[in-house]
Parts: sequence; structure tokens; C-alpha cells
Amino acid sequence: MKSNIFLNSKDVFLDVVNHKDYVQLDRVSTIYQSLKDSVKKPLKMILLYGRPGTGKSMFLTKLYNDLSSLQKVYLYQTPILDESEFYKKLAQDLFQEEHTNELNFTQFMAILNQHVIDEIPLVLLDEAQLYSNPLMEKIRLLSDTRKIKFVITLHKTEKEDLIAKEHFQTRIWESIELENASNAELKIYIQKKLMKANCFDSANMFQNKNINLIYKITNGNYRDTNKLLYTLFDIYAWYEQNNPSKISLNQVSNKIIEMSAIHTGLLDA
Amino acid sequence: MLNVIELENRWKTYKIKSFIPHAIITASVLLITAISYSFLQPKEETVVADQPPSEQTALSKTIKAPVQTQSEPKVETPAVHEVKEVPVVIQPLKQDTPVQYTLQENKKDIYTEEKIKLTPSLSFINEMNSNIPYYQSSETSQEKSDDQNVYQSQKQELEDEAVQEKSIEQVQEVKAVKIERKNTQDDILQVIERFKKSNDPALSLFVAKKYYELGDYHKSYNYALITNELNNNIEASWIIFAKSLVKLNEKEMALKTLRQYIEHSGSNQAKLLLDEIRNGKFK
Repeated sequence: MKSNIFLNSKDVFLDVVNHKDYVQLDRVSTIYQSLKDSVKKPLKMILLYGRPGTGKSMFLTKLYNDLSSLQKVYLYQTPILDESEFYKKLAQDLFQEEHTNELNFTQFMAILNQHVIDEIPLVLLDEAQLYSNPLMEKIRLLSDTRKIKFVITLHKTEKEDLIAKEHFQTRIWESIELENASNAELKIYIQKKLMKANCFDSANMFQNKNINLIYKITNGNYRDTNKLLYTLFDIYAWYEQNNPSKISLNQVSNKIIEMSAIHTGLLDA
Repeated sequence: MLNVIELENRWKTYKIKSFIPHAIITASVLLITAISYSFLQPKEETVVADQPPSEQTALSKTIKAPVQTQSEPKVETPAVHEVKEVPVVIQPLKQDTPVQYTLQENKKDIYTEEKIKLTPSLSFINEMNSNIPYYQSSETSQEKSDDQNVYQSQKQELEDEAVQEKSIEQVQEVKAVKIERKNTQDDILQVIERFKKSNDPALSLFVAKKYYELGDYHKSYNYALITNELNNNIEASWIIFAKSLVKLNEKEMALKTLRQYIEHSGSNQAKLLLDEIRNGKFK
């Protein structure tokens, strides 16, 4: 029965992008609201950027699920790197037109101009840093027609900063940055996530010193925290099964946190 | 699958690794404090280093001496051999007194040695003092050797001294003037720089006045002219302008300028200067 607690808790931290797993934190909620407001504005493009693991994909998925019942919204989680395939996919989704032959930018623009658009569709592009520079430039030109609105996510690294500067900085659009959680936010995130899955016992095991250590190791990165806690509960489940006297159920052991960090590569042993 | 046992071992190595820098830091801190402590008390160490051999030798000598002196009578007197406890009690008492005495003596020696070490500085001062009578004595010896030309040599020396004093004074005066000029010129250059930035007529007037004081009438004329161009109602600027013209042998030009300015402003100072130039009081 006890090991079930740990196994359930472990599953809570599986690295899966699911809008149901979205944890409402004050700052994150404010950012999400501003993103929703930006979508309503007559902006051509909206940039969502941040370091890997700050919840960009989760934001986009949540936005897609929240807006899909209200307006035309299309989510491309995996980048379509081939230019022709990208236009074909857009033509199919936006205008229900299937093209078997190659489709270039000019042809797609012609298709776009043929259609009278009552409601501007919203296209959500995840991992946009993987798109080539020429394709990104064409996406920008498509947004200039004001017939398609794009929300794109970018990793914030030095290289991506350059891309952002070169292509979009001069354009009028909204850019929203996502950041790692603070120490207090991380505690709320972990506990809310566990309590959402009815893992109240394991949620109560986390003390401030544990959170401090987790924050020190992960620097508040959500993905790293998920990875770390997934392994932590995996180790707890192992101890519960093989050597239960070695663990306390009242408090998370910093030793096991460090062991998890070593296993996940967050600490160099 | 998780290999928790191996993970525990890795955790142990990680902990050891993480403690190594702390251990190094604490060790180095201890080492540094020990070294700094040893450096902070070098005098004590040197004294200790100096003292022990002398003290030890003195002690050994002094200890040996009474032991020998005490042991000799013990051997001689059979009564002492019979009672073994008595000399043992007496010996430390007897040993203590001479040891203390000798230590005091040694300390006294050390202090006297230290005092002797200090004497070179006193002798240096004495040497400094002795330099003055040395010259006097040499002069007197010269005087004694040259009996015939005593008065002449004295006169010559007095004259030479007077000439030297005068020349030194002159040199000092020249140097002092140069320093002043440099300072004022530096000031002027700074003011000129400020003037170039601000075009403030007050600054150009200041420069004109300073150049006039220094006798550079060309520059004082130029800066007075610039000031007048910026603001033609500054009385002092017109006066410096006119004065500079007089100094540059442009008396007529100066008079003409002053007349025009008096017509324009009715300045009393300008009138006074005009009269002085006419009368030849101001040249």
C-alpha cells in the first residue's frame, strides 16, 4: 500500500505535456492571462520564449485547449521542417484543401488570397527555433498578411536570441518570457502537483530544507524538477520494497534527493 | 532499472568529493593563521631563539656548578651519606636560588647587550654634531697656516659668501616666479578650455585680465576683443582692451576706442583712463 504512494507520486512527475497537469502558480497565471489577452489583440505574431524546461510547451498546449472551443486554433507541437509540407499542412488545416504536389510560398499565398477569412485563425508553433531561417522569414510574411496569426515558442539561448533579434525584433508584436520557478514557487508547484493526484502523504513529506536543496540542484527549472522527483520516488519505492528501515515517511531525505540528482545527471558524482 | 546500491556508493564518493574543498579551505585557513601568528611575533621568537642557548648553557653551567659544589661536601661528610632524604630536599632549594640568580644575571646581560646595540644611533648623532666643529677647525687651521693673508682671505670669504647668498636668493626668486607663471598659465588654459565650451564672456574677460597682468598684451587685446564681441556692455573689458592697445603702442587707436565707448556708455572709468592716456600718466 505504501509503495503505491511512491509509485503514484512518481507518475505525477512523468515528463509529459498535458494541459491537465498544468499547475496554477500566481506568476505563471498572470503570464498566461497576458498571453490570452495578447491573442485577442490585433497582433501579427506572439513570441513565447524562455530557457528549456520553463513550461513553454505546456503553455501552448493549455492555450490550445482553452481556445479550441472558442476560435480556430491549430497546434503544431512537432516542427514541420519541410517548407512544402508546412504549406500543405496549413492549407489542409485552414482551408481543408489537400495538395498532393509540391506547394511553394507563392502558391500558398495565392490560396490564402482566394479565401475570404472571417475569423483570423491562430497557429501555434512549438519549438520554432528548429525552423530554418528562410521558413521563419516566410512565416513572418504570412503573419504580415494579417490572415493568419502565429504564436511561436523559442528556446532562449544565445543563438535563439540572435534569431529573435534578426527576424522579429523590429516587428510589432508581443513577446512573453517564461522563467524558472522561485524557491517558494517550486514548493507550491511540487505540493500542488502531488495533491492534484491525491498524493497528500508524499506532498507533506517535503520540508523547506528539501525544497531548498531541490532548488539548488534544479535552479527552479520545471523539467529538471520533474526528472529529479520522478527518480526520487522511484528510489523511495525501491527502499520501501527492499529496505524499508532506511527511509522515513515523515520527511524526504536530502541524501535520497542527492542520489536522485546523481542518477539524473544533475549532480556530478 | 535503478541500481540503488551503486547509487549509494556514488553518493558516498560525491559526499567525499564535496567535503574535499571544505577540508582544503579549513586546512589552508589554519595554515595561514599559524603562519601569520608566527610572523606577528617575530621579536619574541628571535628573543627566544637567542635566549635559550645562552640560558640553557648558563643554566647547565649554574646547575652543574652547585651540584658539584654540593656533591663534593656530601662525599666529604659521612653524615650526609647516612641520611639520603636530607640532601634531596636541600638540593632543589639550593639549586633554585642560584638558578634564579643566574637567570637574573643573564637577563641583565641581555639588556645590557641590547643597550649596547642601541648605541650606534647615538654615535651617528654624535658624528652629525661633530661635523660642525670639524669645518670650523679646518677653517681655523687654514687661517693659522696663512698668517700673512688673514685679512685678505677673510674679506674674500665674506665677499664670496655675500655673492653666493645673493645668487641663491636670485635663483630662488626666479624659480618662485616661474612657478607662479606656470600656475597662472595653467589656470588660464583651463579657463580658456571652459570658455571654448561655454562661450561665457566672463571667462574670456578673466583670461584677458590675466594675460594683461602677465604682460602678454597681444593675448589680452584678443580676449578683450572677443569679450566685447560677445557682450559690448562690459566696462572692464573695454578698459583692458584700451590699456592693451596702449601697451602695444597703439595709443591713437586706444583713445579712439575709449571715446566711442564713452559716447555709447558714458563710463566714468573709461573717461579717467582716457585722461590718463592723454596726459601720459598711463603708458
